[in-house]
Amino acid sequence: MSAAAEIVRVDEVVKDFRPGFGLRRKRVLHGISFQVREREIFGFIGPNGAGKTTTLKVLMGLIRATSGNASILGHGVNETAFRRQIGFLPENPYFYDYLTGKEILQFYAKLSGVSRQRRAFRVEELLELVGLSSVANARLRTYSKGMLQRIGIAQALVHDPNVVFLDEPMSGLDPVGRKEVRDLILRLRAEGKTVFMNTHILSDVEMLCDRVAIIVAGRIRYQGAIDEFLDAGQPEADLVLANVPPEIAVAMEERFAAGLRGHGERIELRIAEKDTSAVLRVAMEAGAEVVSVTPHRVSLESIFLSAVEQGTAEEKSS
Amino acid sequence: MIARIWTLAMNTAREAVRNKLLYSLLFFAILMILSGVAMGALSYTESERILQDIGIASIRLFSVAIAIFVGVGLIHKEVERRTVQTILSKPLSRAEFLLGKYLGLVLIIWLQMMIMVLFFAGLSELTGAPLGLSHLAAFALTAIELAVVVAIATLFSAFTTPMLASFFSCGLWMAGHLTRELRDHGAGSDQLIAREVTAWMHRILPDLESFNLSIEASHQLPVAASDVWLPALYGAGYVAILLVAATGIFERRDFR
Repeated sequence: MSAAAEIVRVDEVVKDFRPGFGLRRKRVLHGISFQVREREIFGFIGPNGAGKTTTLKVLMGLIRATSGNASILGHGVNETAFRRQIGFLPENPYFYDYLTGKEILQFYAKLSGVSRQRRAFRVEELLELVGLSSVANARLRTYSKGMLQRIGIAQALVHDPNVVFLDEPMSGLDPVGRKEVRDLILRLRAEGKTVFMNTHILSDVEMLCDRVAIIVAGRIRYQGAIDEFLDAGQPEADLVLANVPPEIAVAMEERFAAGLRGHGERIELRIAEKDTSAVLRVAMEAGAEVVSVTPHRVSLESIFLSAVEQGTAEEKSS
Repeated sequence: MIARIWTLAMNTAREAVRNKLLYSLLFFAILMILSGVAMGALSYTESERILQDIGIASIRLFSVAIAIFVGVGLIHKEVERRTVQTILSKPLSRAEFLLGKYLGLVLIIWLQMMIMVLFFAGLSELTGAPLGLSHLAAFALTAIELAVVVAIATLFSAFTTPMLASFFSCGLWMAGHLTRELRDHGAGSDQLIAREVTAWMHRILPDLESFNLSIEASHQLPVAASDVWLPALYGAGYVAILLVAATGIFERRDFR
């Protein structure tokens, strides 16, 4: 398989749900399309109710698409045999709580076809990896939410899959746990695995993902490499100036369409990066003092929020 | 495939033995079988037969109650608690999942029935009530009937709530014990429509009376081999049809 091989392909997938027994249908996915490439960490982001989990469940064969095609590793998502090569962590996973941590992993290993010889070693290895070795023989009903999340991650990896799908993997974890899961995801990529991650924690996406897709109200609003996203917006700069006469500050705000905060002794301006020299010239001529100039990178958050606003507005107008 | 189904069946059995309802019903079944001794003592001549009648009826009724009330939650609980999501993300089909759950529950129902039968046999031995091959045949067919009842409960559990599934399963079980009688009444009717309707009801609904050898057992009547293997074959076929229908429904479900 080439470096840019498509691991996941979603083409024009539509999903309608029928709320209740009536004939009326509610469309939750409006013909979404995206691809996930080999050995990348793909972030699928969107606000609550956008269709992230529905999309993931379509990929896992848990929800049947109304129309469109979805495939993983070239196999239709409703096939079963290829699932030996994929792992899945659902959102807020629930397991048989009468089993111990070790027993539940053995159960999933058996279902995934892990050989008897490898099973015991693999279960021990994973318990160690997710930091649950000390409670391996305790029943799951005694586990905390974070511990269940770790067991969920372990069961997704128990058969050493090539593609891992994680639905809100940081949910329920404390800061240390989140750091560990981030490291684990990076380690999976280093091992040559492909990771598909549903999340709305944008800082995690910025830190981990190679490419992202933003879904809002069942429609994909943006998709592409994370660097393209962050470079796509108009570059801006933050200026902090002191001793600027108020009339000059107002004039700069109007002339450069700047965002102005503060007045008098110290002001802050957010301007287009290309206007930096001109603004500085005006400020110096007015006798102002330059405290700092900081290039401002457009955050994923601002792109995300603008996508949500745009999506919500379109949804209302339609 | 067999290994995966077996893994699920064993896990289902493990879960079922934790169901308190199973122990409560088992306890009352044992009490009912015991009550046969007291009821039998009221009669001078028929005490052994009363003990046997009550014992066999208790085993059948309580086993069916366990099969229905544990069976109706079989699939619903998995969907409700979302355990089905991680299981179905593994390389196993929905049909394998359903079959594994079904087999696990049938094994447990048979195990609890065996406990009741052993208790009944012990009590019969103690009181000198006769035990013979007809008892063995009766209990074997009761086991087949239980497999059919669990399949009925599984079918309803695949698409509705435990409450509705209990109503439907109990209703179908009762109808299943009446269809033969209904067909016989219908056959004597002057009206063609009555004859046809009752005949078709008998064909479509499970004929659960075909698994009933209680009278033969309690009266020590001879039982022909075909009285056992023909209903057993019929039961196996009926289970297969019910499970195929349950799988068809389950295949189309969305797990939100």
